[in-house]
Amino acid sequence: MRDTKCLAMILAGGQGSRLGDLTKNLAKPAVPFGGKYRIIDFALSNCTHSGIHTVGVLTQYRPLELNTYIGSGRPWDLDRNRGGVYILPPYQKSGEGEWYSGTANAIYQNIGFVERFAPRYVLVLSGDHIYKMHYGKMLDFHKAKGAAATIAVIRVPWEEASRFGIMHTDSEWRITEFEEKPEKPKSNLASMGVYVFDWQILKKYLILDAGDPASRNDFGKNIIPAMLSQGEKLVAYNFDGYWKDVGTAKSLWEANMDLIKSPPRFDLYDPDWTVFSRTEALPPHFTAACAKISDSIVSEGCRVYGNVEKSVLFHGAVVARGARVVRSLVFPGAYVGPEAEVENAILGSDVRIRRGALVKPSKEEEIIVIGDGLSCVHVCENTDARTKNGGI
Amino acid sequence: MQDAMGIILTDGEGTALSELSEVRTMAALPIGGRYRLIDFVLSGMANSGITNVVVAPKCKYASLLEHLGAGSPWDLQRENDGLCTMPPYAGGERKRGDMGEMDVLTGLLPYLKKSRPGYVVLAKASTVLNITFGAALAFHKEKEADVTVLCHAGGGDSSRFLVAETEKDGRVKELLLYPHHAESQNFGMDMYIFTKSVLIELLEGATERGACSFLRDILMQNQKNLRMYAFLYEGYVRHIDSTAAYFACNMEMLGEEVQTALFGQETPIFTKVKNRVPTRYGEGALIHTCLVADGCLLEGSAENCIFFRGAKLGRRAHIKNCIVMEKTCIDVGCRAENVIFDKAALLREGRTLRGTEEHPVVIRKGAII
Repeated sequence: MRDTKCLAMILAGGQGSRLGDLTKNLAKPAVPFGGKYRIIDFALSNCTHSGIHTVGVLTQYRPLELNTYIGSGRPWDLDRNRGGVYILPPYQKSGEGEWYSGTANAIYQNIGFVERFAPRYVLVLSGDHIYKMHYGKMLDFHKAKGAAATIAVIRVPWEEASRFGIMHTDSEWRITEFEEKPEKPKSNLASMGVYVFDWQILKKYLILDAGDPASRNDFGKNIIPAMLSQGEKLVAYNFDGYWKDVGTAKSLWEANMDLIKSPPRFDLYDPDWTVFSRTEALPPHFTAACAKISDSIVSEGCRVYGNVEKSVLFHGAVVARGARVVRSLVFPGAYVGPEAEVENAILGSDVRIRRGALVKPSKEEEIIVIGDGLSCVHVCENTDARTKNGGI
Repeated sequence: MQDAMGIILTDGEGTALSELSEVRTMAALPIGGRYRLIDFVLSGMANSGITNVVVAPKCKYASLLEHLGAGSPWDLQRENDGLCTMPPYAGGERKRGDMGEMDVLTGLLPYLKKSRPGYVVLAKASTVLNITFGAALAFHKEKEADVTVLCHAGGGDSSRFLVAETEKDGRVKELLLYPHHAESQNFGMDMYIFTKSVLIELLEGATERGACSFLRDILMQNQKNLRMYAFLYEGYVRHIDSTAAYFACNMEMLGEEVQTALFGQETPIFTKVKNRVPTRYGEGALIHTCLVADGCLLEGSAENCIFFRGAKLGRRAHIKNCIVMEKTCIDVGCRAENVIFDKAALLREGRTLRGTEEHPVVIRKGAII
């Protein structure tokens, strides 16, 4: 797949408000994952492996850390003379400037950027899913079907289907109907939010949509239905692999736990599909004489003196002597003090859990979230008051 | 330190590392779980603000060159100056195989002449330390020295091949090589600061007279004519010149004091970053006092060990005091003590290997036991 035949636009502007305190100061795609990654690494690495070398990343909410992280794109081989990765925030134009009002509006405002590369196809995807996918195969399918747009779909459990945009297809995978979060879904083929468009056709619909003041400027709510109603050929590309939308603290925690199951539900160790990330030169992690680590993932720069079970320690995390960390995520730089107990929790970056603290949900099935930089003693419920006030 | 440039020479006295140095030049020796020996001196230069560094390897330098790349981990991938690697070449009268230390140095003469800085930090790549050269350079300038020999005061097991007998003000009276009796406690670190013009003159003069050894024919021969000073460096220093020294240094890195001295400073040790997954600890893992890099799978038990990237420790394996390099696999039920496993070795199921602290067993790269 050569450079400008297909260009990718990654929607990375969302806050991910359902991640609560974790995204207070951080865009969702920049949220840490799996010990040394950030959520956007999966979309970016998929592009690298799929041979897509021109990637626009649309940012809006709290982009500083995300922009710094992506930089010139070197870890993903996207630091290039021809093509490469481009950060695309909303910007002032002479006379007017507006924030991105929706996913389609974000692309609409960047038509100029896309035109510079004159691609035949544009791949639109979100930066907040955990999955491995070869977009080239999806593009081949799109071409073979002669479609105007191809939407990647995945079968979801019926009881969850009403959370998604649901596709109905015929036996040739042509999309006949599309329901957005239906109460009574007629199919369990959910849209993954990954689209391949013929650029000229997409451009037409983006411009039309921009002229409609009633529109929400959203792909799922507006562009796709408009294309369908005009009789454009839309097809569904069936994806058959692990795919996780880590939009809630619970799903983020689950996806990380999926990495340490034996065998892991999502295999980071696939030699044919390395997930790239930007890492610092940190020393190897140190496991002290009194440490006990089992069934866990530990990243570089960590120092472990305590007990770690079924957990993910991100780079630079420290677990002091006598502390116990069970089924939890310890984000970069976080510190768990001596004799502290942490269970079923997500500790944000640079959090300090004080000596003897107890962080454990009182309700089953709940996950405690401690936001970045906070310092805690005793937490057993996620309540706004507790996390807002910082040190308790 | 824009007025100083760096030269890093590789190899050194050490073919004393036998199997480990068979497959690579010393500077590329993996150490400490994720570094190569050259990372210490090179990071020291980078952390000192030196932006012009030339690395001159002698032989077996493939993995070294791959490791260095264009110098970007040390921020030495620059438009102006930066990292320059100069593998030796046979040209003109120079025959291959004739490549001694002096040939390497005189090969650098054109580079030295066209570089702008007025001072040269010349170092061998065989020392483990976290150093910046600002203080030594300031000392050199203050004394208006021609050459400053960086010394350490002993302690630990660091090498004592060179001793500098000095006056009170640091002026070197005499340089002694492998002395039988030395009063002084100034042990040379194989690191020197030269005023560039002096170095050029010395090198040009030496080749005319058939010089072979930098230490003997340049420094010691010219002691009397040079303003030579000794600068005492007080940080942690380990010279790697034998398998025992290499093993001991790695084991020392398991101690928190040494970890802080080397990796806990404001000046980090940079190294090439490779994308790998984080390490996984299995259900029955019992890991105590170990340094573990990324990409490992640890299911057995280990004490006082260093695991490099991608190492595997199988279930019910028990190892102690071992260095396990990249991609080496220690299979189910094995036992090993005081062993250095080079890269991609395989210790098959149930095998036992035992060395001693002074004589650790060295398993070659790729060996299958």
